[in-house]
Amino acid sequence: MAVDRRETAMPVAAPSTTTEPAAGAAIRQSSLWQDAWRRYIRNRAAVAAGIIFILICIYCLAIPGFWKIPGIWTSYKDYDPNAVDFSQSYAGFSLDHPFSTDKFGRDLFARVAVGGQISIAIGFAATFMILVIGVVYGSLAGFIGGKLDNGMMRFLDALYGLPYLPFAIITTQILSPNGSVSFWSMVVALTIASWFTSARIVRGQIITLKENDYVRAAKAVGARWYRILARHLLPNTLGVLVIAIFLELPGVVLGEAFLSFIGLGINPPTASWGSIAQDGREAYRLHPEVLFIPSLAIATLVLCANFIADGLRDALDPRTRETG
Amino acid sequence: MALLEVNDLKTHFFTREGVVQAVDGISFAVEKGKTLGIVGESGCGKSVTALSIMGLIPKPPAKIVDGEVLFDGRDLTKLNEHEMQKVRGNNVAMIFQDPMTSLNPTLKIGTQITETIRTHTEMSKQDARKRAVELLEEVGIPRAAERLDDYPHRFSGGMRQRVMIAIALSCSPRLLIADEPTTALDVTIQAQILDLLDELRQEHEMAMILITHDMGVVAEVCDDVVIMYAGQIVEQASGFELFEKPEHPYTEALLGALPQLEGDEREIRQSRLTAIPGRPPDLVNPPQACRFAARCPYATYEDSCTEVEPQLREIRPGHWVRTAHPTSERSGERETVNA
Amino acid sequence: MATFIIRRVVWTIPVILLVIFMTFIMMKQIGGNPFRHTERNVPPAIQANLDRKFHLDKPWYTQYVYYVKDVFTFDLGPSMSQRTRTVNDIVKDGFPKSLKLGILAFLWAVVIGIPLGALAALKPNSIFDYMAMFFSTIGFALPSFFVATLLIYYVALKTGLVPTNGWPEGFFQFDNRIILPSFALGLFPMAYFARLVRGSMLETMQQDYVRTAKAKGLPYKRVVGLHVLRNSMIPAVTATAPLLGLIITGTFIIEIIFSIPGIGRYFVNSVFNRDFSVVMGITVLTSVIIIIANLFVDIMYGVLDPRTREVR
Repeated sequence: MAVDRRETAMPVAAPSTTTEPAAGAAIRQSSLWQDAWRRYIRNRAAVAAGIIFILICIYCLAIPGFWKIPGIWTSYKDYDPNAVDFSQSYAGFSLDHPFSTDKFGRDLFARVAVGGQISIAIGFAATFMILVIGVVYGSLAGFIGGKLDNGMMRFLDALYGLPYLPFAIITTQILSPNGSVSFWSMVVALTIASWFTSARIVRGQIITLKENDYVRAAKAVGARWYRILARHLLPNTLGVLVIAIFLELPGVVLGEAFLSFIGLGINPPTASWGSIAQDGREAYRLHPEVLFIPSLAIATLVLCANFIADGLRDALDPRTRETG
Repeated sequence: MALLEVNDLKTHFFTREGVVQAVDGISFAVEKGKTLGIVGESGCGKSVTALSIMGLIPKPPAKIVDGEVLFDGRDLTKLNEHEMQKVRGNNVAMIFQDPMTSLNPTLKIGTQITETIRTHTEMSKQDARKRAVELLEEVGIPRAAERLDDYPHRFSGGMRQRVMIAIALSCSPRLLIADEPTTALDVTIQAQILDLLDELRQEHEMAMILITHDMGVVAEVCDDVVIMYAGQIVEQASGFELFEKPEHPYTEALLGALPQLEGDEREIRQSRLTAIPGRPPDLVNPPQACRFAARCPYATYEDSCTEVEPQLREIRPGHWVRTAHPTSERSGERETVNA
Repeated sequence: MATFIIRRVVWTIPVILLVIFMTFIMMKQIGGNPFRHTERNVPPAIQANLDRKFHLDKPWYTQYVYYVKDVFTFDLGPSMSQRTRTVNDIVKDGFPKSLKLGILAFLWAVVIGIPLGALAALKPNSIFDYMAMFFSTIGFALPSFFVATLLIYYVALKTGLVPTNGWPEGFFQFDNRIILPSFALGLFPMAYFARLVRGSMLETMQQDYVRTAKAKGLPYKRVVGLHVLRNSMIPAVTATAPLLGLIITGTFIIEIIFSIPGIGRYFVNSVFNRDFSVVMGITVLTSVIIIIANLFVDIMYGVLDPRTREVR
């Protein structure tokens, strides 16, 4: 769910840092990113989360074959997510069907993988769009400042009054006049419902950075505003953006899951984690795995994204971790 | 008997990177009604000393591993938390360096004063409020009665420090520990606050420990002085003695770092601020030798002090120093530190 | 203080207008003439009547004005799928139930989540801390439909202690049917609060003014209870606003799973039935609730942190 963190502590990235030398040792120059990477590695939870995240992505891509276009693929012979075979209905866990099968005998191992493609794809697509809109809106407001900023932020405040789920539902309905919700309508709907936080964060970051001396120096040398924006402000916002990716992603994935679960999102037979869960809803008392497995997949992804975001936040702003 | 006696205090921090021996065997005494100055650069252990006396060191990483702190004969290090709470704010009070963050921003000033009073005395709310107004007036805050209900953000830095002093005085402590009370303030306000502290101390017959890194401040108010370096005391004497006849090279350097504002024009123009080159040693692994040796202008390779740590010795009655090169024993021309 | 409140209240009106506007636009986009979407064949005469009654023959901005007027007089129009009921009826029926569900969920979150986080902060790195954080991490990540179904499966079905669905009729009626749904809904906010409060308290305890409080010899209970808590609650209060929004929208899912006849369930059904007036009415209603909740939180924030009361 897109939980609004308003402007919780986001790191201000300095242009470069030097590592603290051991007494007497020579000073090593290293860039912000190398430093951050080194700090990130030290956080075991974040590293584990990162690995699991990558594994999930690999699973989703590899199992049904490497074709990423939903609905069109050829699969390895044993794991076909769409092969209907009623004799195999709810077959239970076995080597043939590591995740069991659903009501129609479709193998869940493949189906969850395919569903993952869609759910994660929606997640990344929407997150990307959210960030783009957020960057544009936030930079404009933060950079230009003054009345425009004030106005834009008041507008943003007003938008917070829109209820997330109903809004997303209405948008998907608008974009799917014939009743079946498509991939892109989900992406757009989820984006529209949740871009506010990212705009706020970007704006906050730009405002903080604007006051930095190196920006003043650039202005003093006569640099144009777009140059300042592109060369100085935006690269330093990158850190914040990378963290924002992993904070928005769970919200979007959960949003898709919720919408699909209640039937107003991706619908079967198209597989997404939410739609599989919807399938599993009817028979969960006897065959809970159809509901549980995609739910666990979602939960795992959400957890990983959160740990990664935490790790990134600590890595990019060591000041937040003061005490030992 | 002295009001406060610190004997061989050792406070160590047990961290992941090793044991930091922040305070390594400190002894001094504070007489009733007198002011002791503790001087040293950042990291030398002066704040930790103060916090150790108050029992405010963060207990997980830090621990008082040795020594005693005798207040009126009672060893504070042996008291449990409950008993210490009765001492703090009551018999011994402390004020801190940064007045901007030392007050709770969400509580009114009045509350922050009266809660101390009502914790340690039986006063009623009204009486405590009256006392709070008296205290604010005493520290020089105008319109005290009205300002009692204001929040800290409505006060300037200097004013906030005065409020802190008022809070500290509220229960008439016998000892006040001031940890760099003026460092965060402008020079002009500094003088005011120092004067205020001295006045109050005399009026209330309070003893005071003033912690600072500024020799100028020490010269103003202190009866006795302790110079700390890297967790140890390196010189200890009365204020007068110290300024007239400093013995330790570090003390000389500190004095040399004072801007010279008196004397004829040529002297002032020629004298330069001396920075002391180098950094203090790492306290996780303190050197076996004199800790100041690496930065000492007098130490040479053949000297014993580069291998064995010099002990604190009484070079004159009441004047202790820990060095192999005390000023009065240096043969030949004294090298001017203002090179 | 009063001016602060009045200012915030005044600002909500344009916000509500904006919300109505946007919802209205969206509905117009979907519907066009909603009546033509129904399967029934409406005789043209009746159609003309209906058009006139709902101002559908007028340009959209006029319809908008009528709609705004209606909303402010609390008339949300007729239901388009249930001919005999108006949206107001449906809302009157379902809203108290959803409200109760939401309030109970919020209570779970506050009564369990906040103390959990606070205690974890007071005993950092202890077993209690690790376990508390473990549970809150799980509560945070699991989608609520999953938690709800798990609860139904393991608690209701297997143990038979509580029924699997349903909800008491009256607002002040309570029976054991309220336990599972409110818990399922409240789990995420609970976990969120626990983590937030823990982090915030740990940070507050490092502050200088806490050290001052200890130096004054204040008893531990007061140091924590007043100085630390006051200041650490501020981020928790800030988080309440979006959390309330999440709870409100979360009721949709929970109501469907537990068959609770609240406005969430009505909303979803209405989308399926193309009953636009209900959809719009409920959306506007939830918006208003969220805005009021935000306002309330802002006011609470002003109470807790005196610095914000100064004019910006």
